[in-house]
Amino acid sequence: MSTPTAAADHLYATGLRNQWHPVVPSSFVAPGAMRKVTALGEQWLLFRRSDGTLAMLADRCPHRGAPLSLGKHLGDRVACWYHGVEVETDGTVSSVPGLPGCNLEGRKLVTSLPVREIGGAVLAYFGDEQHPEPAGLTLPEPLTDPDVDAILCYAEWNGPWRFAVENLLDPMHGAFLHHESHTMYDGDTTAKFRIRETDRGYFFEKTDQRGVNFDWVELCRTGVDWVDLTIPYPPSAGPGGPFGIVGMVCPVDENRTGVFFWRYRRVTGWQRDTWRFLYKTLIEERHWQVLEQDRVMLEAMPADADQRENLYQHDLGVVRLRRMYRAEAEAQARAAQPAAPARSSSAS
Amino acid sequence: MTTTWPYLDVHQSRTHEPTPYEYKLAATLEEVFTKDGHELADVVSGLNARQVHAPDGAPWTEESFRAEMNRLGA
Repeated sequence: MSTPTAAADHLYATGLRNQWHPVVPSSFVAPGAMRKVTALGEQWLLFRRSDGTLAMLADRCPHRGAPLSLGKHLGDRVACWYHGVEVETDGTVSSVPGLPGCNLEGRKLVTSLPVREIGGAVLAYFGDEQHPEPAGLTLPEPLTDPDVDAILCYAEWNGPWRFAVENLLDPMHGAFLHHESHTMYDGDTTAKFRIRETDRGYFFEKTDQRGVNFDWVELCRTGVDWVDLTIPYPPSAGPGGPFGIVGMVCPVDENRTGVFFWRYRRVTGWQRDTWRFLYKTLIEERHWQVLEQDRVMLEAMPADADQRENLYQHDLGVVRLRRMYRAEAEAQARAAQPAAPARSSSAS
Repeated sequence: MTTTWPYLDVHQSRTHEPTPYEYKLAATLEEVFTKDGHELADVVSGLNARQVHAPDGAPWTEESFRAEMNRLGA
């Protein structure tokens, strides 16, 4: 039996449960298609019907454990390749062709996660056994505001998911790692920061500088964890003012991460069309070059980087994040532990 | 659609490689936005002053610019 510490370590490494996480871009699974994905250290099958409806099933046939992702898409269900067992999108076994009437039929034996699609990405709720019903979810405003145009950029990085979130909670890396970038061309390389609590998370912000670049980040925990930040934009990008980023992270497994960045501006009408045209033609590649700087650095970090550090004031946002995640992992691990069995009073 | 790890695609928002016309138009727009201004009138006069023509070869109007951006920005 695993100890609470080992269970907490596992959760910390593979992602907290009882919340929503982004999984992959919606475009990764076309109508009438299936796709195997790894998320939170487990194997899943994304199954999309031809009408676009999406389901996310555990990638494991309830008969002998074979991966359903190798099976056949039958329109409204998947048939396991190994013995033909058919599983519906809610996880119910609808048919056992090899033994019709078998007692597996009609039973819900496969985990099917609640899913939503927002801003071009699939989000899924990963509940533990005690919390199968999805937590409330408030989506980031820039992804739902009709006056904001948000464009998804997704990438896959080899490194712990926490490093990617910490990177976002670290405004000062912008002045150094991204010094030579088309938006990070200004701003002091020294600054004072503070944490400002909100009812949904906290801001980590400069106290002595505003509107130059990457002056603040907000961590939001609204059923899904996300980070918001804005960067002043060069005039060459046209009307629309600052450029914002909503960042989310998918813990794929202990050492792999999917990163989701929605680049957004407040634009409508011809300004929106022009921004989108400039973005896809010229600007996207520049942002990719900046993102690659993050990937190169984070993938080069040793896995135990966060075990031997000497931190200073600029790391307050990161430290707060770690304490919060570690505390929640430990709480979830404790809650999942069965109560110690009462000792038998019989001594004979 | 790729399924190999890692997914690292530079041009996720594109549907095609931009044409020389599109590259030219985009680069000129950036110059106009930097040097002339951000209003629609700035754009139209800026493009016309730089001899970058509308797709039909005629000078830009506010109407033709809106229509072309709607097509290209989709």
